[in-house]
Amino acid sequence: MRALGLGAACLMLAGCATSSLVLLPDDEGHQGSVAVLEADGQASQSVISQGNSRTKLGEANANPQPLGEKGLKPEEAALLTTLPPPAKSFTLYFDQGTTTPTVESQSVLTALRAEIASRSGPQVEVTGHTDTVGSEEDNDRLSLQRAEEILNWLAGQGIDRSLMLASGRGERDLKEPSIDNFSSATNRRVEVIVR
Amino acid sequence: MVRIPIAIGLTALMIASPAFAEIARVKQSSGTAFVQRNDQQLKPAPGLQLLAGDRLVTGKDGRMSLTFVDNTRFAVGPNSSIAVSEFQYDKTRQKGSFVTQVDRGSLAVSSGKIAKSDRDAMKVRTPNTLLGVRGTKFIVEVPE
Repeated sequence: MRALGLGAACLMLAGCATSSLVLLPDDEGHQGSVAVLEADGQASQSVISQGNSRTKLGEANANPQPLGEKGLKPEEAALLTTLPPPAKSFTLYFDQGTTTPTVESQSVLTALRAEIASRSGPQVEVTGHTDTVGSEEDNDRLSLQRAEEILNWLAGQGIDRSLMLASGRGERDLKEPSIDNFSSATNRRVEVIVR
Repeated sequence: MVRIPIAIGLTALMIASPAFAEIARVKQSSGTAFVQRNDQQLKPAPGLQLLAGDRLVTGKDGRMSLTFVDNTRFAVGPNSSIAVSEFQYDKTRQKGSFVTQVDRGSLAVSSGKIAKSDRDAMKVRTPNTLLGVRGTKFIVEVPE
């Protein structure tokens, strides 16, 4: 009865619409979920996991409805088109003990530069790594030098330095697990994330 | 003898102030839109760095989009008032906590690494609901 009364009050008052959630698959087509932890001040254990659904919020038992043939509202579709592009990763490889990218990595550099230039308000995270040949201290230094080498190259190509940050992880994050003093072309790398 | 504690004090200060670290960058905005930081209203030009506690505000023709340092992406629709009340991220461990409060308007989210790191590490609060985000894309709408 009380719920009915509230519903009637909402019908009479303009702008009394309730909050809602539209759940969608992510860009890779994977469907995650959203849990309702609290509704109207009460703890809840509802989990919304149906993709392409709409749920009225504020009820302890979430009741998702399929979007159906009508799909998204025009303003929802418009909102989604303004999401920024996903972050993109690039990996450059290095000759042993050097800060020189391999010949194969040259084309990756070109693609990286183009990706940064194409973005609005970009942020670039450049992280250097080494293999396990040499001491940890030397590798910390070398990994940072590799990252700085890439950052400097990008700066030389006209990318603003303030958009970029270089750091070195030495031999702490091996791509290919290995024993100490093991030469690995896979581990000698710089990873760049463009946001 | 006096210098050492001062040096330690400064180092501790630098480490203990992650609240002033960049959490996101504005990608685009249009119409009436600003970032409210304490009593300042900042123009959301592309590249503006956001801090934890910032509020994203748009008018009836306003929009704003941003990407966080954990790869979470936001699109803010018209007539919105949305606060990033909490944001902590450890880049090395790829873990953190993230609380967004949607007081009014619409927000599209594509979640990033924080949502993946621990169950309900990313939360979204609306006036009547607290949501735990478990890795996905969604839209929250809060009418006026």
